[in-house]
Amino acid sequence: MILTILKKDLRLYFSDKKGIVITFLLPIIMITLFAFAFGGVVKKKSAPKPISVLVVDKDVTTASQALITKLNAIPAIDLIPTEEEEALTLVRKGKNTAVLLFGKGFSEAVATDTKLPIELKYDAARDLQMQIIHSILKEGFNYHLGKGDVINTVTINTTSVIKEASTKAHPGLVQAVGGTAIMMLLFSIAAIGGGLLDEKEAGTLKRLLIAPVKPFDILLSKMGTAMVVSILQLTAMFVFAWLAFGLPIFMDIVTLLLLIFCISFAVSSFGVFLVSTVKTRQQLQGMSTLIIILMSAIGGSMIPISMMPAFMQNIAVISVNYWGIEGFFDIFWRQLPLLEILPKMGILLAIGLGMTLISSLLFKKNIIAIE
Amino acid sequence: MIQVQNLSKSFQNIDAVNDISFTIEKGEIFGFLGPNGAGKSTTLHMMSALLKSDTGTIHIEGKNSHENAEAYKHLIGVVPQEISLYEDLSAYNNLIFWGKLYRIPPRKLKDSIHTTLELIGLLDRKDDLIKTYSGGMKRRINIAAALLHNPKVLLMDEPTVGIDPQSRNHIFEVIETLNAQGMTIVYTTHYMEEVERLCDRIAIIDSGKIIAQGTQSQLKELVQTKENIQFEFHSLSETHVTQLRQLLPYTMTHTKNKLLVESTVNELSTIITASNKLQLQIKDIHLNKVNLEAIFLSLTGKQLRD
Repeated sequence: MILTILKKDLRLYFSDKKGIVITFLLPIIMITLFAFAFGGVVKKKSAPKPISVLVVDKDVTTASQALITKLNAIPAIDLIPTEEEEALTLVRKGKNTAVLLFGKGFSEAVATDTKLPIELKYDAARDLQMQIIHSILKEGFNYHLGKGDVINTVTINTTSVIKEASTKAHPGLVQAVGGTAIMMLLFSIAAIGGGLLDEKEAGTLKRLLIAPVKPFDILLSKMGTAMVVSILQLTAMFVFAWLAFGLPIFMDIVTLLLLIFCISFAVSSFGVFLVSTVKTRQQLQGMSTLIIILMSAIGGSMIPISMMPAFMQNIAVISVNYWGIEGFFDIFWRQLPLLEILPKMGILLAIGLGMTLISSLLFKKNIIAIE
Repeated sequence: MIQVQNLSKSFQNIDAVNDISFTIEKGEIFGFLGPNGAGKSTTLHMMSALLKSDTGTIHIEGKNSHENAEAYKHLIGVVPQEISLYEDLSAYNNLIFWGKLYRIPPRKLKDSIHTTLELIGLLDRKDDLIKTYSGGMKRRINIAAALLHNPKVLLMDEPTVGIDPQSRNHIFEVIETLNAQGMTIVYTTHYMEEVERLCDRIAIIDSGKIIAQGTQSQLKELVQTKENIQFEFHSLSETHVTQLRQLLPYTMTHTKNKLLVESTVNELSTIITASNKLQLQIKDIHLNKVNLEAIFLSLTGKQLRD
């Protein structure tokens, strides 16, 4: 009797494609992603892509140039010569993790064996990557300058280009609030979009189509609902983060609200897009779980982007999460002016617009097709 | 009022509707009778401008369902087969919502909702959530939602599916009232009793084709079967049958104690009088009417509920 029931249950279970996807495919994808993110996947014969570090040589001597060449030979890093002002701007804007500065008097310090005027200025939002860079460089300096014992070692001064202040959010908090808020928002919006499928199943969609209403208006109204909920949800998340953790949401409230609007537009259109690709609630559940978790994983909601390998950081740009989280870092951590955050907002709006256009085509095919 | 010409629609090489044509006059109740999958709903979907036909045209008061979609949609009210209402809204809020889609001015919409709720007998329950309604009540609100913009034509797709006889009667009364007010009604069903009660003219549809259309009496003339009355007597001899044949002008056949008389119900008393005269004791009488079920069977070789 037990075997009969067991067989029946297994037969039913394996007839449910959604269940199979959730059980097998999703964990496989997640394992793969996390394995890449935590560096667990390294081919024996191929070295990982080097980390780019900007380098500014203010000493401009044979000794400094020679050392830069030697350090650049370390496979794990790629030193890019840059002007100081430009280098600091790039780090401040989050384009690069760190800049290595060779101060004036470097060659003299080497010759006299005094403290080296070297400094590593970095983006504290990428703390983990910074620690790796610091460790590699220190080892390189010690090796090439013939130091490295316990007493006689090179000291690299490290300074965050963005000064932490009581008015500023901790990057970890920005990551936690921004990343989580966008991921949860995607789930909420997929559920709201699913309302369209409920309407189809209940027959109210048919009645809407019978009324003098254009199909595209129905799609837009659903997107509008999703947008209102998105704006409210994101706002509530940030108000909570302000009350509970002191996130300074009023630091640049206009930019924050604009970014919330852009994220909401992109996420809402993504929700409607998801719904337009499927025909039933069951399909939506399977599809949305898979895509949202995947997008959140590669987009930085689950693991900070800076912890991911370079190729995954390149892939991250396809996700709404990435642009949203980067926008929040620009506001709360880098404190960039609105003008400099506008391109990210533009990308979010473009993602939204593209998704809406695709959705309108799929909507006719999958949702409003009446037989 | 309604002209449908050479209408066809197929889905993945299956002809759901195959070259049908019909006209409906103003103020008529026109019924589509056919089994499930016959093409009734597809026809109604095309008439509702929900579905584009592959070929053919539909005109209501000269307006085409797709070329003048906006004006066309204001002419029709559609009662879908499903209960197309928001369960978590009250009846009143549902009607407000559906009415607004037709851009009815607020004052006029409120008046229209009041009149419609009164017509369907649910004015006192207007503030209750739809999910608290019985199946029959939901069906009535489903009809009300199609009436708010005062359409000239009401398209009803099996509006009584799954409800009790009392609610069904209530819906029939609503339909009859609307028709008496001049509304043209197109009604699909697979219940012949509904068509017989309500419809002025009927189209019998099967496998996407209209196989016959006309009034009930016109349809009855299409089949060979005649209406008859079957009598069962306690005892019936050959002599009795001979005597009855002398007394009555109808064709009769008999087996044992049963006698089949080809006549209508109107002649029943004459036959009973003749039987009494011969002191025949009647055990049972059964009237075999030529109904739409019989006509459908005769035309297609299938039962309506096949």
